[in-house]
Amino acid sequence: MTNDNHFLRFSLFHRFSHFLVIISFFGLVLTGMPLVFKDYGWAHWLYGVMGGYPTAGNIHRICALITFFAAFLHFAFLSVQTLVKKDRGIFWGPDSLLIQPKDLLNILGDVLWFFRLGSRPKYDRWIYWEKMEYLSLMWGTFVMASTGFVLWFPVQATSLVPAKLAAIIDLPSLALVAHRYEALLAAGFIFTIHFFHTHLLPENIPMDEAMFTGRISEEHMSHERGVYYERLKESGDLESLKVRPAGCGGSLFSKILGIPFLVIGLLMVGFMLSSLIISLVDMCC
Amino acid sequence: MASILYTLGAVNSKISRFLFVACLVVLFFAASINYLYSQENGDCLECHTDPSKVDVKVRVDHVTGEVEIVSMLVDEDAFHSSAHGGEDFYCIDCHADLEESEGEHNPNLQPVDCITFCNDDPGAEFLEGSHVKLMKENDVQPPTCKYCHAGVKSKRDVPKADDLYHRKDTIDKCGGCHEEFYYSYRNNLHGQVTALGHVDTDIATCVDCHGQHTILNSSDSESTLGADNVIETCSVCHPGANDNFVKHVAHPKYKNIAYYKSVFGAVKDIRKDPERISGIVKSPQMIITILFVVYVGILVMTFSGFGMHSVLTWLSTILDERKGKESKHDKR
Repeated sequence: MTNDNHFLRFSLFHRFSHFLVIISFFGLVLTGMPLVFKDYGWAHWLYGVMGGYPTAGNIHRICALITFFAAFLHFAFLSVQTLVKKDRGIFWGPDSLLIQPKDLLNILGDVLWFFRLGSRPKYDRWIYWEKMEYLSLMWGTFVMASTGFVLWFPVQATSLVPAKLAAIIDLPSLALVAHRYEALLAAGFIFTIHFFHTHLLPENIPMDEAMFTGRISEEHMSHERGVYYERLKESGDLESLKVRPAGCGGSLFSKILGIPFLVIGLLMVGFMLSSLIISLVDMCC
Repeated sequence: MASILYTLGAVNSKISRFLFVACLVVLFFAASINYLYSQENGDCLECHTDPSKVDVKVRVDHVTGEVEIVSMLVDEDAFHSSAHGGEDFYCIDCHADLEESEGEHNPNLQPVDCITFCNDDPGAEFLEGSHVKLMKENDVQPPTCKYCHAGVKSKRDVPKADDLYHRKDTIDKCGGCHEEFYYSYRNNLHGQVTALGHVDTDIATCVDCHGQHTILNSSDSESTLGADNVIETCSVCHPGANDNFVKHVAHPKYKNIAYYKSVFGAVKDIRKDPERISGIVKSPQMIITILFVVYVGILVMTFSGFGMHSVLTWLSTILDERKGKESKHDKR
């Protein structure tokens, strides 16, 4: 009964952007997290592996620049879509990544589904938690970039503070606190929630290859994003998204690329969580 | 007249030449006599590098009363790379009571006096500084030279100022007493990097900010962190440091439970002592602490919320699959 129809879910541009984000995010986490967990052996080891001081710091800054580049690409894309192509759909409507009224209904539907009070709602192009991930990535990048710059250029940053406020606002210290805990939030979120919601769901395990091959099968699409599938089918746009299925090589390539990152991320979560538990136990006892 | 003057000059020069040679001879003899009676380091090391000739010894510190077992073996390489390992240092410079001995000697030597002949300036700076004064007032034994300037294996291998072990050791030794400041230092970027083992001179340890021997309280305007000097002190690593920059909170208190207790205490006494709470609110610690608490809240809410969502999605998906509720799948 299964057919072999595949549709394009992510264009090459978005896959490339996601790849840049993966590379820079892992570089940032692996060189930054040891500083947070400085009291633990794994952090010393990891910091050494990443080149120690100042090499790890330089890798951290280079990866930050790659992140800026990815953010720049994304805003350039948004500008082209709105200003040149006059596409308002990215701000409002079913194709938008911003939270829509329909998403609130979907959240309610999901809560009912959790308690077995209804069947699972059907989602459109973006599921509400994907939108939340996208928006938190925007917010997180903004916080990390601005505080990161303060930490990179502390002397110049403090000269921006009015002299009267300087006695109560210590910009580098505030930046360090925000940078550290926003980093824990981001790394923790990506390595647990993003991984579990996208890759490690029972239907996707070990990973959803759509972001690497760009392709999604008809079966998977109608099951995972029913409303989107029906909508495209009715408007007739579905045919134009039809692509050849990813070859064996493409699938293998995305697994070879994706699974190591998945494993590193989960290992990092293990290290971070166990260190956190140990320090909490230490604090209480 | 001219000839008389000339003869006098000649006589003069002869006398001065004689005097000069005589002085040289005397100096030479003096030096060689001294040389004859003093041991080369080699004489000492002949035994002190041979495990069959020297062993361990119990040493009681004459100031602190601390008892330790020390090896009498000298690690030549470690000693030569130490601050006292140069060509012109002799064992007997410090162990002056062995100056005229030869061969085996009395194992109980006089304690080495670091200050009197060699390090009188830093010694005086330290002993007359407010750090020692305060310790004496509080009946605390001030540390000796050897306590802080100890080598890796032996107190003898006095490390140089930029020695990486010494820089790390200093953080631990200052932190041994100033625990609260140690933890808050570790919570700041300087302390994070040094905790990972990088203690080179481009990252500040305790002494880089607070000075080495004249350890004044940072509220003292003459201290390295006082109003007169703080810009200069920070500028060593942060060129262009300005009035705003030097207000940096190098010891944030947001992970110190005592800080929260003092805030609550001040809130309780707000009627009796309004000054206290206004002092706390006006300190830069306050905003940093608020930001920290907000972030802890965000972290807890995010992970508990999304964590629950993940687990429930997992469970529900598996239950759906079991019940065969995935109608679309089956119908097609």
